[in-house]
Amino acid sequence: MRKLYLWIIAFLLIAPFVVVLGVSVGASKNITFPPEALSAAWYEELLTEAEWLAAIGRSLLIAVIAGVIATTVALAINYVLWRTGSRFAKFTFALGLGPFLLPPIILALGASLFWAEVGWYGRIEATIVSHGVFLVTLPLVIIARGFAALTDEVIEAAQTLGATPAQVFRTVVLPLIAPYVATGFALVAIISVNEYLIANMISGFVVETLPIKIFNNVRYGYSPVVAAASMLFVALTVTILLALSRITDLVALFGTSKDG
Amino acid sequence: MIRSPSYAPRLIGGLAFAVMAVFFVVPLIFMIVVSFYQPDPMGFYKVDFVWENYAKFFSSFYYSVSFRSIYSSALGAVLVVALAFPLVLIVSDLNRTWQLFWIILLLSLMCLSEVIMGFAWLILLSESAGLPRLLEALGLWDNPRSLSPSFGAMLIGLVFLGFSIVALILYPSLARRDRSIEEAAMTLGTPPALVFFKVLLPTFRTSLISVTLTMFVYLLGVFVMPTMLGRPKDWTMTVIISDKALGDANLPLGAALAVVMLIVTVIVLLASALFAKGRRI
Repeated sequence: MRKLYLWIIAFLLIAPFVVVLGVSVGASKNITFPPEALSAAWYEELLTEAEWLAAIGRSLLIAVIAGVIATTVALAINYVLWRTGSRFAKFTFALGLGPFLLPPIILALGASLFWAEVGWYGRIEATIVSHGVFLVTLPLVIIARGFAALTDEVIEAAQTLGATPAQVFRTVVLPLIAPYVATGFALVAIISVNEYLIANMISGFVVETLPIKIFNNVRYGYSPVVAAASMLFVALTVTILLALSRITDLVALFGTSKDG
Repeated sequence: MIRSPSYAPRLIGGLAFAVMAVFFVVPLIFMIVVSFYQPDPMGFYKVDFVWENYAKFFSSFYYSVSFRSIYSSALGAVLVVALAFPLVLIVSDLNRTWQLFWIILLLSLMCLSEVIMGFAWLILLSESAGLPRLLEALGLWDNPRSLSPSFGAMLIGLVFLGFSIVALILYPSLARRDRSIEEAAMTLGTPPALVFFKVLLPTFRTSLISVTLTMFVYLLGVFVMPTMLGRPKDWTMTVIISDKALGDANLPLGAALAVVMLIVTVIVLLASALFAKGRRI
């Protein structure tokens, strides 16, 4: 009974992507499932046509720099909170939770007006900075768990041996929280690559990222290339998360495992 | 421990705060300012101070859009939590390998683009592929046609979108729960269904209500699912805001509508926080 429920939910969560996979490897130009004949033509088109390649490149560029911005800010806020525990640091931490709590349309419209006023409307830098700032919440919360896991003994040992705060940070703190930082970075990068609404409102007309291109394609008559692009996304997302599970104990991050 | 006076933490903290203030808070404040400007059909807006944009909100059109948004987000949020809570309960008792499988599956879905999920359901519900065709092949539907766009399709999209987020929010507290009461009840021969309703639901009532409210706010801001899977008459406030701001280039009106949504969001979040606080004492 319990197992049945798990299987039904797993099926419903995965089924849509099986259908997309079927469409992406089908030879027919019309969307059909199951495919009548197999073909890799849509993947070929995706990876050779300049427009699609440009969108993929833009999305990856935005994701990597936004990931660096978000994790740097998250690390800074957590570090200061850990070192000082001041009210100001607590307030900044709370501010960092804000973007996750508000509906994205509000952030997107605010950012769009702001960048238009600054004169960066339609520039890729605007999308990068906004993604970096709005996606700060996840690394903030994850890195906080890393700092919470630090024990005072190692820090005090380093200080007793004469390490300056900068040395303590570099040689003791950073190596211990590195897995959390990496997890935060990876999640921001993946979400940024997948994000549509904010990127579209800020500079969607000019900076066409992969989700924007897929959305426009679906809306104005779509071809199976969209299915191929979607599968590329799914593969990329799952691969990064699998790689992540090798460096971070994801089960421990989300809960405690039953047998350990 | 003796700390030498250092300005480094203050400097780092100040910089981090400045980044959040300039790129997160200032745009929101500026949006509130723009909501009082006059729309300019030729360009962006004219600097002014008028209530006209808010006055437009109080018309039957926006009333029905607001009602619709609240209705579909609330229904979606309740469905998501009702489906995700039992799942996480079961998953958190699995062995480590299967827990990892579920966490990676849920994380993948949380990260995956709304656009791609919408597209996937669009195909799954379409006439030429997916469900209608399957029902025809099984002889259950003689004359299959596309199931989207429709309110049901949009709702499926919303539930699908929110599911992984709610599951991952609930996961830590459910995985670390004290299992002794359930086990005691089970040992005494209480049926599992009764344990669920008499022990687990009351224990997690507070977090379930707060996660439902979080999901409600989240679904209020969803854009892609209503546009891809819903009919124009199912469109929520988010779609209308985007439509006014980008389509009609009426930024002040879009901003005013977004401010109304911001106020509703803040009220819901405050209510949620107060409720959680009140329960804990």
